[in-house]
Amino acid sequence: MESISELVRRLRTLGRSTDMERRMGDEVRFHLEQQTEKNIRAGMAPDEARRAALLRFGGVESVKESVRDEYRHALVEDFWRDLRYGTRVLTRAPGFALVSILTLAMGIGAATAVFSLVEGVLLRPLPFPEPDRIVRLFQLDATGRRMNVSEPNFDDWKARTHGFVSMAETALSASVPVSGGREPIVTSGAAVSREFFDVMGVTPAVGRGFLPEEQRVGAAPVAIISHRFWTARLGGAPLEGQPLRINDELHQVVGVMPEGFAYPTGADFWTPREVAPPQRSRTAHNFQVVARLADDVPLATANGELSAVSRAMKGEHGDATWMADAAAVPLQEQLTANARPTLVALFGAAVLLLVIACLNVSNLQLARIATRRRELALRMAIGAGRGRILRQMLAEAALLSAAATVVGAGLAAAGVRAIVAAQPGSVPRLDSVGVNGTVLAFACGVAALTALALGLATVLRTSQHELRASLAGGPRTMTGDRGRERVRQGLVVAQVAITIVLLTGASLLARSFVRLLEVDPGYRTSDAVVLDLVSPFSRDAAARSRVASFQQELLARLAVLPGVESVGLVNDFPLGGGRYTNGQFLEMTRVDEFKSYEDVGRIGDQAKARAGQAGYRVASAGYFAAMGIPLLRGRLFDDGDGPDAPHVAVISESLAKAKWPDQDPLGRFVQFGNMDGNLRGIRIVGVVADVRELTPEAVPGPLLYLDYRQRPSTQVSVVLASSTPAAVAQTARQAVQQLDPSMPIRIRSIDDALELTLSGRRFSLLLVALFGAAALTLATLGIYGLVSYLVTERTREIGVRMALGAERGDIIRLVAGQGVVLAAAGVVAGLGASLGLTRLVQGLLFGVTATDPVAFAGVAIVTLVVVLAACCGPALRAVRVSPVRALVSE
Amino acid sequence: MHGWGITERLEAWSGSVLVLGQGTLYPALYRLERQGLIESEWRTTANNRRARYYALTTAGRRHFTEELAQWRRMSRAINLVLDASLA
Repeated sequence: MESISELVRRLRTLGRSTDMERRMGDEVRFHLEQQTEKNIRAGMAPDEARRAALLRFGGVESVKESVRDEYRHALVEDFWRDLRYGTRVLTRAPGFALVSILTLAMGIGAATAVFSLVEGVLLRPLPFPEPDRIVRLFQLDATGRRMNVSEPNFDDWKARTHGFVSMAETALSASVPVSGGREPIVTSGAAVSREFFDVMGVTPAVGRGFLPEEQRVGAAPVAIISHRFWTARLGGAPLEGQPLRINDELHQVVGVMPEGFAYPTGADFWTPREVAPPQRSRTAHNFQVVARLADDVPLATANGELSAVSRAMKGEHGDATWMADAAAVPLQEQLTANARPTLVALFGAAVLLLVIACLNVSNLQLARIATRRRELALRMAIGAGRGRILRQMLAEAALLSAAATVVGAGLAAAGVRAIVAAQPGSVPRLDSVGVNGTVLAFACGVAALTALALGLATVLRTSQHELRASLAGGPRTMTGDRGRERVRQGLVVAQVAITIVLLTGASLLARSFVRLLEVDPGYRTSDAVVLDLVSPFSRDAAARSRVASFQQELLARLAVLPGVESVGLVNDFPLGGGRYTNGQFLEMTRVDEFKSYEDVGRIGDQAKARAGQAGYRVASAGYFAAMGIPLLRGRLFDDGDGPDAPHVAVISESLAKAKWPDQDPLGRFVQFGNMDGNLRGIRIVGVVADVRELTPEAVPGPLLYLDYRQRPSTQVSVVLASSTPAAVAQTARQAVQQLDPSMPIRIRSIDDALELTLSGRRFSLLLVALFGAAALTLATLGIYGLVSYLVTERTREIGVRMALGAERGDIIRLVAGQGVVLAAAGVVAGLGASLGLTRLVQGLLFGVTATDPVAFAGVAIVTLVVVLAACCGPALRAVRVSPVRALVSE
Repeated sequence: MHGWGITERLEAWSGSVLVLGQGTLYPALYRLERQGLIESEWRTTANNRRARYYALTTAGRRHFTEELAQWRRMSRAINLVLDASLA
């Protein structure tokens, strides 16, 4: 009793610290005045009297500080007391504590795991100095679409804008054979123009940058390599005397970039752009442009100027450029644009799950309050204010939430490792993702909010009246406390509603996925092996025809391997690069109309009418059979289409429709010098079916296929159709090695290639489905808990009803009915919320609308069935209530 | 009794032997109050000034009685020892 009365007194004496300061100030002032007056009465002059009083008192500030110490000491003491008390309370109810901690841990773990993705991918600044000043510049075509940049346009931008301190163009080659290290490999490298390293703000960590004399046509080839390449391939050896053979040319390595520098994404080496001659075409969109904003120039200003300059350029060059406008986009935004919608949706889902977890624990706490009513009532009766009770509740919630955070952070760390290991294809910067300080701070913030919400919710729902009443002996009403019951019902309805939102999102993603799998991409999706072969790139015609001869010999050898049904090659595999899209070709009136670019320029006004757009493909005749792409009209390439024969092409159906609607494309001539520099006329000899490139959801694009013997390509994918892909992969590899031991090979099955394009979707679907399932479990537990509680509370009522002759069916309906009504209310609210929220994931959907009725109905039915099942247990327990026992139990 | 009054009373009763820095009283008062041995409230003085008045609580009184008894025992013991050794 002593400790309680002490507690009560302390509670009354300790106000907030501002009260304490004011009280102290007033008290000291009063004291000094009294002493001063006494001194004056003793005959001192007023000034002297006051001085003497101060002297007598001692240092006012140091006294005040001592008093404050006393006060602070009390606060800390209180806090520890609350925590100790909370721990005792929780250890007395280990089941409740464990369930609460695990539930919260699930929510906090999910939110933390997804946040670590959001932080590493979207929020963390790029690893360059002042990364927010780096922008990507795009040409915009007449429809506002972002495009790469042509060199003359880049040069004009550089000369005519003032909002950027530096501007550089880069051209990334994704598959380049490099030898000189441990073994020949294929990797990515970029040709970069003079100011590239200024834009990025990064200089080589080892060695030096490019010298001016290395940045001109005809200069001896030099390269700067990535730290990754240097350590993994060159063993970190000194650079001198270690030339690298890049694309068949020896390059002297002059520098190594700092660890982690890999822009453009994936680049392992950088070479000076200026060693190749300048490009003159304004429609050869071969460059990506990066720039650094000038100091004090806001992005909007720089953007406005760039746009004005670009529109002026359009006015000057008309049809000679496709650029209608231009835009500067922050580099970070541009790099993460594709991943953003997915990550934001996932984060939303994780937060919803956390909210459900909090609601569930709240509900548990509320149920527990019932058993703690007397304890709390006693404390209130002896004077504990709401604030004091609140602090106690907060301390308990903080304990739960702290424990949950520890468990949750563990879950998150494991989850993040699993996610990074799974390498979902669509997420960039994954290597920078992990549970780090920022993420842990986030987790702690979430935990603090959770604790606050839980504690507040508990206190607000515990009315003083109710507590005072319970001191008198506890309520023994027939149906429990209506107010608290309503709150618990509200919580359950909210849980079901949020679950519906999550499940609706998951089912929309799932239906999109199924729709995607149903799409016929227009080519074989199984039973094939793909070999990626990269020969050194060369502009030399003789070298290129040697590559074609090699490829021809290889195709002949592969065709006769056991198990190979058909074999062919293509320069840009539908599930791969997408390197040669959107080339501009010109229709010719006769096969030899253009002999030079001057001839092309002469057609002037007609240029627009004659131009067409198509992806540039180089293929062998066998490719169409191997990929299962049917010939619709005309013919494929045949033995007559050798290097010296007239050049021929096969076009896709969509190109035929787009360029020659209602006309026959067969027999027409085009030139595609924009893509391969060869102005020679090409006769269209056949039309093949469309394919969906890159992903099955893509719209089939117009394609123009040329014969690989006539327009050799150094990068090809060989497709081998076979019902025994694994065996064929082995023998095919041997066949390549026999023909050229130095050829780097990558072999994959077409299933794997397809899977890679789906992995991003599979990943987000899996996570959202997981969150949805967890939410459904929690909501079901919530309803189960509430119905069970109601059965217990109403045992006596049920007994009476049964004694009066109620049938079992009536009792089951009575008990389960309540759960079902709540679930139905939650379902209705959830469907309403989903209607609004699923629109936010519209961009992630394919083949279904955000309000797909099948998804909505399916989720509603599943939820109702599960909830009904959850209500059955308590309902059956209710009918087993013995009337006699129920009545005696009071 | 308010803080200044307490210091005055201490000085007077101790025959001006206990003349401490008057300020040192206040941290002690706050501590005693936190421990629940005294309580305080604002009241107006005889000449209509606002002052904080302190009083012993029940627990304080009991504590005081115990401490006093303890002190008496202690000082008596010390005196006995001193008397015996000096005699």
